[in-house]
Amino acid sequence: MFLPATGKSFTWMNKKIWSLGIFVFILLLIVPFWGIIPIDWQTILGHNPNSFVFWQLRVPRTILGFVAGAILALAGLVCQNLFKNNLATPDLLGISSGAAAGAVLALKFNLFVTFLGLGGMVLFSYLGALSSVLLVLLISRMVRNMSLYTFLMCGVALNFFYSALIVFFQYLFDFSNTFSLLRWLMGGISVVGYHESIFLGVLLLVFLLAIFIFKKEFLLVSAGDHFAQSRGLQVAHFRIYSFLGLAFIVGAVVSVCGPIGFIALIVPHISRLWGRSNYGETVVFSMLLGGGFLVLADFLARALIPPVDVPVGIITSLFGAPFFLVLIISQLKKTE
Amino acid sequence: MIKATHVCHSLGRKPVLDDLNFSVAENDFVLIFGPNGAGKSTLLKLLSGILATRGGTVFINGKNILHYSKKELATQIAYLPQFDEFNLPLLVRDVLLSGRYPYGSFFRKYSGRDHEIFAKTVERFALQEYVERNIQTLSGGERKKVLLASAFIQDVPLILLDEPLNFLDPASTLQVIKMLREMHSQGKTVLLVSHLMQHFFPEANKMLALKNGKLKYYGAREFSAQLFHDIYQVSVQHVFAGDREIIYLDE
Repeated sequence: MFLPATGKSFTWMNKKIWSLGIFVFILLLIVPFWGIIPIDWQTILGHNPNSFVFWQLRVPRTILGFVAGAILALAGLVCQNLFKNNLATPDLLGISSGAAAGAVLALKFNLFVTFLGLGGMVLFSYLGALSSVLLVLLISRMVRNMSLYTFLMCGVALNFFYSALIVFFQYLFDFSNTFSLLRWLMGGISVVGYHESIFLGVLLLVFLLAIFIFKKEFLLVSAGDHFAQSRGLQVAHFRIYSFLGLAFIVGAVVSVCGPIGFIALIVPHISRLWGRSNYGETVVFSMLLGGGFLVLADFLARALIPPVDVPVGIITSLFGAPFFLVLIISQLKKTE
Repeated sequence: MIKATHVCHSLGRKPVLDDLNFSVAENDFVLIFGPNGAGKSTLLKLLSGILATRGGTVFINGKNILHYSKKELATQIAYLPQFDEFNLPLLVRDVLLSGRYPYGSFFRKYSGRDHEIFAKTVERFALQEYVERNIQTLSGGERKKVLLASAFIQDVPLILLDEPLNFLDPASTLQVIKMLREMHSQGKTVLLVSHLMQHFFPEANKMLALKNGKLKYYGAREFSAQLFHDIYQVSVQHVFAGDREIIYLDE
């Protein structure tokens, strides 16, 4: 992947990646043991309620947290390259609100279909997420203007539309499902079993592969449209296919975990600072940091006010936003 | 190399270029000039295939530019826009290597030959100290040098540049001119948009004057106080310093 790099700086960089990697690995090992019921490492191998809690609830939850966080962070990174803007996230295309609208429909109309072991709510929110990006692309095509500006405007409009739709359905129908809906909208990664982790894990691998296969293209797009075009890249086409791919991958995460804010925005930002503008290093950082951050946030969600299980989406935004501000302010101070 | 027949373009309803006809031969150095808003940048974008003409045809090596695939075209033409858009961190190394993009296939990484050309160019233009740096941290002059070098790495016969000297200090100006001169002496065809005629007039062998989207002059480079006055409404003088013809504004 890399050219022979210039001596010292490269090993130093590797060290940083390794230390983050080791930290995240240890985090993943420790977190499942912690909870309202403390679990001893000796009990997890036997047949007892504790080992069930460990293997069927906590381990899947931890794995899902890492995988979902990694995907969201990488999606943010890719999105920022495609939009040539380091504040861009997949939400700009209406993916989250589309997914939420789908979930509302599934809940309110009791659409309990299962497909590949995924429930109705997951399925319909996935369709909702895909519908957003498809609509954005369709409208842009109709007005024969496939520019970033059109995408952005359509995305903003769809975000408002879907948000209104969600409130409308909630207001119109009975309140029986309102709590579970509200809970879903706050984001969470509590699951039973491994269906979701495997589903998203496979997607993460595919996503990583695509990110490295299309390295040249992503770099070109981030350098500007004219630049990329003059190097022979069909920028408009590449962007459209990338957005479709993003919808498939991010839609899957949102449909399983609900909308989890801030990771897609903040993690690539930090990774760029640490990754020294190197594509490969930034990607690896984003993956480790995104995954680690969501696992840590979920740990906090469980540890903060036991026995309450705070929705993890609240934690990521609650801690992410101030951290992001501090980061931006310190960066601005540096450039002053 | 390039042939333009009845080339027209408009932005919305406003006509920008009106029925341009000219042809550029191999190893020409064409200086394109004209007042602001004359359509110079648009012309360059049409000739590089970034924009499609609204009328008329551009031929590159006898083939309609619209019949080239994007990658094929990128093996013929390098285009350097007036403003770069480096909003995100990017290693200079990656910017330079992107010049080899049109030669690669979908899944392939850059080949040994690509890296060889890259290494040679870095050495030739003394860019070693920049290679591992983020392009955003480079000054305007350093960026221009990197972009020119990446056009060189692209290994194309045709180089189109839009105001390559904007915001450059004298030292960088000279370096960029030297790089261009070297490329030209290697047989490349150069088309260049610039107001800085004092710098490029001595380098060019042809000139193209645009005003209000119309072609006012195209042909061999020659000093004409009348033409410059028609185009810019200023009087221009020239002197010879050795074998260099220097032009300057006369107040």
